[in-house]
Formats: sequence, C-alpha cells, structure tokens
Amino acid sequence: MSVLYIALPIALLLGGGGLIACLYCIQNGQYDDMDTPSVRMLIDDKPFDAKRADEEPDSARSERRE
Amino acid sequence: MVPSERLELPCVHCGLPTIASAGDDRSKLFCCNGCRQAYELIHGWGLDDYYAIRDQTGGQATSVTDAETAYDCFDDAAFLGECAPKPLAGGRLTTELSVSGLHCAACAWLIENVANRTPGWDSARVKLNRHSLQLVYEPGSIRLSDIARLVARLGYRLAPLSDQSDQAFAIENRKLLMQIAVAGFCAANAMWIAIALYSGEVAAAAGASGVAAEYRLLFRIAGTLLGLAAVIFPGRTFFVSAIASLRTRTPHMDLPVALGLSVGTVVGVGSAVLDRGEVYFDSLTMLVFLLLVGRWIQFRQQHRAASAFDLLLRITPQHARLVESEEDAGRLVLVQSLSAGQRIRVDVGESIPVDGDIEFGETNVDRSLLTGESVPVRAGVGAEVTAGTINLSRPIVVSVGATGTESRIGKVMQSVETAMSQRTPIVQLADRIGGVFVVAVTLLAIVAFAFWLPVGLAPATSNATSLLIVACPCALALATPLAIAVTLGRAAKRRVLIRDGGVLQRLGMLGGFQRRGQLWFDKTGTLTEGRPRAELVQGDTDSLRLAAALERQVCHPIADAIVALAQTRGDAEGSHALVVNDCELVSGGLCGHVERRRVIVGNQSVHEEHGSALSEEVQVAIRECLATRATPVIVAVDGVARAVLSVRDPIKPDAARSIGRLREAGWDVGILSGDHPEIVRGVSEQLGIEADKAIGGLSPEQKLSKVTEPFSGTTVMVGDGANDAAALAAADVGIAVRGGAEVSLQAAPVFVASGKVAGIVELVSAAKRCKWLILTTFAVSLSYNIIAVTLAIGGLISPLIAAILMPISSVSVLSLTLAWPLFRSTNETP
Repeated sequence: MSVLYIALPIALLLGGGGLIACLYCIQNGQYDDMDTPSVRMLIDDKPFDAKRADEEPDSARSERRE
Repeated sequence: MVPSERLELPCVHCGLPTIASAGDDRSKLFCCNGCRQAYELIHGWGLDDYYAIRDQTGGQATSVTDAETAYDCFDDAAFLGECAPKPLAGGRLTTELSVSGLHCAACAWLIENVANRTPGWDSARVKLNRHSLQLVYEPGSIRLSDIARLVARLGYRLAPLSDQSDQAFAIENRKLLMQIAVAGFCAANAMWIAIALYSGEVAAAAGASGVAAEYRLLFRIAGTLLGLAAVIFPGRTFFVSAIASLRTRTPHMDLPVALGLSVGTVVGVGSAVLDRGEVYFDSLTMLVFLLLVGRWIQFRQQHRAASAFDLLLRITPQHARLVESEEDAGRLVLVQSLSAGQRIRVDVGESIPVDGDIEFGETNVDRSLLTGESVPVRAGVGAEVTAGTINLSRPIVVSVGATGTESRIGKVMQSVETAMSQRTPIVQLADRIGGVFVVAVTLLAIVAFAFWLPVGLAPATSNATSLLIVACPCALALATPLAIAVTLGRAAKRRVLIRDGGVLQRLGMLGGFQRRGQLWFDKTGTLTEGRPRAELVQGDTDSLRLAAALERQVCHPIADAIVALAQTRGDAEGSHALVVNDCELVSGGLCGHVERRRVIVGNQSVHEEHGSALSEEVQVAIRECLATRATPVIVAVDGVARAVLSVRDPIKPDAARSIGRLREAGWDVGILSGDHPEIVRGVSEQLGIEADKAIGGLSPEQKLSKVTEPFSGTTVMVGDGANDAAALAAADVGIAVRGGAEVSLQAAPVFVASGKVAGIVELVSAAKRCKWLILTTFAVSLSYNIIAVTLAIGGLISPLIAAILMPISSVSVLSLTLAWPLFRSTNETP
C-alpha cells in the first residue's frame, strides 16, 4: 500500500491542475455571462446561408441609407 | 350605444394590442409605423426566425418609437467618454456600449445576425446579463452612428456604458466563484480521504485489519491540510463578516458559523498534530462550500433584478439643439454643456431637455411625465416649460433655465434618492436568531463541559468541542438567502422583477405580525388601461370622418382614440384624403377646416364658447355619456353639433377581482390620483373602493405626504408615471407597473412587467408563502441542530454522525425551498 505515498499527492496535483485551470477561466471572464451562452448554443446552430449573405448586404446597405 | 365592431389583435412586431378590422391581414398588423419598419427590416434580412425564437423563449419585442433621435454624437469621442472605440489590428475599432430594450435570447440573436449582414460591421456580441453590446467595425466603411441608428430601427437603444457598479459586480462575482472553486476542490478531495478513513474504522470495528497507522496518519494530515486551506482561503469571508458584526454589535448569521469553523479548525489541527482525537476536516470543507454556494445564488439573483432597473433609459434627452435665432438650424450639443440663457430649439414630438422659458413659438405641451395630467397644456412665449415634458404641436425656442439635477424632474429624482437612503435597514430574522444562537451554543458547550468533567477532562473537552462544531448552523444560514433568492427567481419568471429581497419581508409580514396594511393605487395606467377608447354614441359616420381628419393633425391619447374609432369603421382612407386647414388646439378641443367646412371637436365648454347649436338629441347623448362616467366629445360641423362620442379610459379587466382578493388578504385598498376627482370617483365606484379612500387631484408632493403619513402597518404604493416616483420610493414597498415612465421603475423596488393587477396579488401571496417557507426551513434546520446538540451532550456524537447530519440538514433545507409552492396560478379562484 505504500503506493499511497505517490498516488495521494498525484491525485491532489491533478485536481489542483483542474482547479488552477478553473480559476484561470473565472479570472479570464468566461464565467461572467451565465445567461447568453446557454441560449446561444440553442439558436446558433442554423448554418449561415452564404448565398444569401452575398445578396443581402446590398439591400441592407440601401435600406440603411434611406 | 353603437355596438363595437373592432377587433384587438397583437402587433406582429411588439405584441401590443392593436385595433384591426375584420378584413386585415393578421400577419401584417402593426401598432405603429416604427414597428412596421422594424418588421420590414428584419424580414428583408431573412431573419424572421427572430419571431419564432422570441415566442419560444417568452420574450417580447420593444415597441419601436417613431421619434428620430440624433445619433451623430456617437462619432464624437467626447460623447462616448470611457467607451471611445479602441483600435484593433487591421484598422478596425472595437467598443462596448449599453443596449436597452433587450428582453430575451431572440434579441441577442437578432442583433448579432444583423451585424453579420451589415458590411463594415464585423462582429457583435450581446451580453444579456450586462445588457451590453461588444462590437467590432471598420471605420472606413461604417460609422458608429450608423450602427446606432440601425440598432435603433430594430427597437433597441445604444448608449455609452457608464455603470461603475457593473464593473464592481463582475469583480465580486469572479471573487465569489473563485472562492467556490477552491472550496469545492477542498471539499471533494477531503471527502474521498474521509471515506477511506471511515471505511477503515468500520472495517476495524467489524474485526478486519482496518487502516494501517502510517497510512492513517497520511490521510489525516492530507485531509487536515485541505480543511485548513478551505477555512483560510475561501472561509475567510465568514471570519471577516463575523468580526465586522462583533465590531458593530449587530448579530449576524456568520457569527455562529465563524465560531463553529474556528473551534473545528483549532481542534482538528490539534488532533492531527498530536495524532489523536477527531480531525473534522470533511465537515468543515463541506460547510464552507455549501455556504458559499448559497451566498453566490443570492448575490446573483439580487444583481439580476437590480440591473434590469439600472439600464432603463434616462427620462430627459441627453442632447439639445443649440440655436442663435429662430431661423437657425442649430447644432446638437450635450445637455450638460448648456448654460443658463442659451437658446435651444425643440421640434414637434421631442421631449424638452431643460427647464426654461419659451422665447419663440406657441405650442401645446404634454406634461404627463411630471404631473400625470394627460391633457396637453397650452404654452406661449414666456411660458415656463420643464424638462421631460413633450412638445406636441409646433417647434419652439426655449431659453435655458436649469438643466440636469437643477431641473424640476432632476429634483424629483433627487428626492427619490433621499427617500431610498432614508429607509431603515431591515433586521433579518435569521441574523437575530444568529445572535441568540451564539450565546445559546456557548452556554450549552459550557453545560456539556461541566456535565462530563466528573468523568474526566479529556471526554469533557472532546464533547464540548464536538457540540460547538455540530451546532454550527449551516442549514440555518442557508435558509433565508436561499428562500429569498428562489422567490426572486420565480417571480422574475412571472415577469415580476424584485430589486431587493427586503420587499418580500415587508409584504409577507402582513397577517403574521401585523394586522393591516395600506395599499395605494395610482389610477391611470395602473387600474385603467391608460389608453382611452372612443365610442360613437350618437350621430353619423360622416361627421366622425371629418373629426378623425382633424384629430389626425395632433398627437394626443384622445385624438388617437378618435382616429382609431374612425379606422375600425372603415373610414381610414377617407379621412386621410381630406384636406385640413388651420387646425388649432384650444383648451378642451380642436378647431379647424376640413374640406372647407368648419369642424369643432371638443367638450361642452368649447362648443358653448364657439356657439355650436346643440340639439335635444345631442343633449340626451351627452347626459347618457356622463351617466356612464365617460367623457363626452362633441363634433360640430359648420356650427351644428352632428355627433357625440364617449371617451373613456377602460378599467383593466382583472382589476376588480384582484382588488377583492387583496382585501381578503387584509389590505386596505385606496386610490391616489392626479386625475380629476370626478373621474377618480367613477373608477372607485366601479371597483368598490370607499369614497374616502379614493382621492383625486393630487400633486406629486401631496401623494408623497399621503404615503408617508404615519401608519402602523406596511404602506404599499402601486403606480407608473413620474408623478409617482417620490411616493413609490417613500412607501414601504413601491410597485411599478408596465407602461409607466422609466423614472418610476428606478424609484420602485418592484416592477410588474406584465402590467396586470393580478401580478400584485400573486406577489403579495408569494411574499406570504416565502415567509412561511423561511419559518419552516428554520424549524427544520433548528431541529437538526437540537438533535445534534443533544447527542453531543450525551457524548454520543461521532465525527461520522456529524459528517452525515450536517450535509443532510443543508440538503433538506435546499429541497424544501425548491419544492415549496411559492406561486400559484391566479386562475384557481374564479
């Protein structure tokens, strides 16, 4: 059972690595907005229609200048 | 009365009820031109999915206003201040602006997709929680003002971010999350170490070999280090607040928590070093973790409600058109930069940005924001106008008197702030119990120590310390914040936004500790729809068409009602085509020439003044109107009265029933209104409110003094208009309803977004249930503590039992809170 002397610190180190990664994410602002990402993944899945994107900008531009 | 043929259907874009005739296409029905434009824009981009997503996520589009606001200032770095665009690689610029009018995921989707389809606008990222928009654009092909204008046409308004509090929130939020992460790490690891130790003990008790001594020591030391880390880093919060509560001598729940934590830590570290006794680290880390999670839920919920208010638009415009003379086109400047004596021009439909006197021009001013009076007031040269009022008929030039906080509306806002700061902080029941708890637990520990001393010093110390640890009121500390946070969250789902949890306490106290509460309603827009409707009582549609053509020239709720009536009768096109000359607003009516015929629309006094002939038939119709408490509007063509319209502001359909239920719940219901006492009496009769409780003709100041009258119970004010702002803030609980001016939402801690009176009934009963929930969870967690303390005094507690009891008590409080029926459907009682 003397493997415990190695296994326990390794387990804690691995967990600590995860903790540090988590702290980095929080500090980085990835947890600041808890509302938008959860719904964005629901609505972003519609593929962006490349053909339409080519046509639309012109009409969008003319409308904007009205 | 002529039966109504009108239909009310929701506007396709914003969902406001819109008057339609039977033949109209339901998929192309708009309440205003702005909504039509927004729809066409969205439709043109092929983004119709917006409507589907909106309906799925329960959102609502903002009604787009026609008023063209100036956005050129968005290109001015001085205007943007802190938000001035910062350069990115490739010559692009980035900035973050606040967006108002965001409701749900569909709004975020729409704005982000519009950015995709706009050349030059590279990316947009909407943050729903901050109500902000992070955008990247190419200054070569698009200006920031173009983006602002585009977004405005969709019904959202951009403004520079100025909220320091939001920055503070983000920092605080990150700090709490990091504490939770560290505590969670410690708790999870301490738990598996503890499991190894406990299973070893169980095995040893069963006769097996158990854990060898050297590994036992390793586990104990590792566990204790984790426990120490949890108490020292994230757990520090509790010690800081406990010391603060000792210093200010205000009892606080963190006091017993800190006591339990410190005793547990000292004893645990002592036993680990001496290698005997119990180490307690698993309970300690779990305690810190659960308490921090509860704290974070509460913090986030409160902020969510608060930010919904903070981001509402300002009431007075931020820009003014500075002019030299009457003919000058002028240039746009920020209102803050104006000084007294300068001249500004205010166009028709704009709201006046400053207090001042009219120098040129004569107009009618809608002062409803300030006084609640819905009828426009005539203002000529030399007349005083105030910021926040709306110029209705002609452009005027105003010489600046006072701006910002010096203006009358600014002073109202200041009185709001003072009223809010004067409110005494509520002493929470949990904190009071916390104070008692510390004393009781300390005394019990001494009793236990004295009880076991004859047996020996070692069992006496061990039992007294284990008592101090198991008595740590984890569940008790969780109960109040969790119950309040859950109630706020569920209320928000029902479109009732609550800014501070104290409201629930003040509303919920009724029936338990107090006998009666006083509930004051504002009338217009609260009990009534706030949008008058007209009915043709007597006369022909021909004169109605002439009247509508005339009313089309002005902007007034009654005029809108008359035009809407003409529209439903199929004469809309007819009245469009008519030629109107010299339309003139007089007090109580309108005069003008339609198709060269003299038309006068107005109340009786206008017609008496102009000598219109009122036939017997017309007189009867007028009396009929008055008998039903409606305002008669008479149409005279070429000096002869031809038609009578009745105009009334209908009472909301759920008002009478809701008021009945509020009374059953023990509230005294009354009306405080700035409207004419006669009309107020009519409404109160229909709703069954006593005549002495229905007070009309009040100024904002009088409302304030009525609300602050000394009263033994809770005083609640329900209102919407700026004239209620001071009263809303001064009342024990201020409730703002939809459709009101933004100012009242900033003043009131509660906002009923559905605008229904039934929402208030739901809120009041939820507050009561929330109180019972808190009391029940108190009882449950206290009984856990009593059991644990009794066991500890009896010397029966083991660390294993302590480790099981503590999480179980927290979990039962948590599940009770989540399962509690806080809101019930109002449809239950017919």
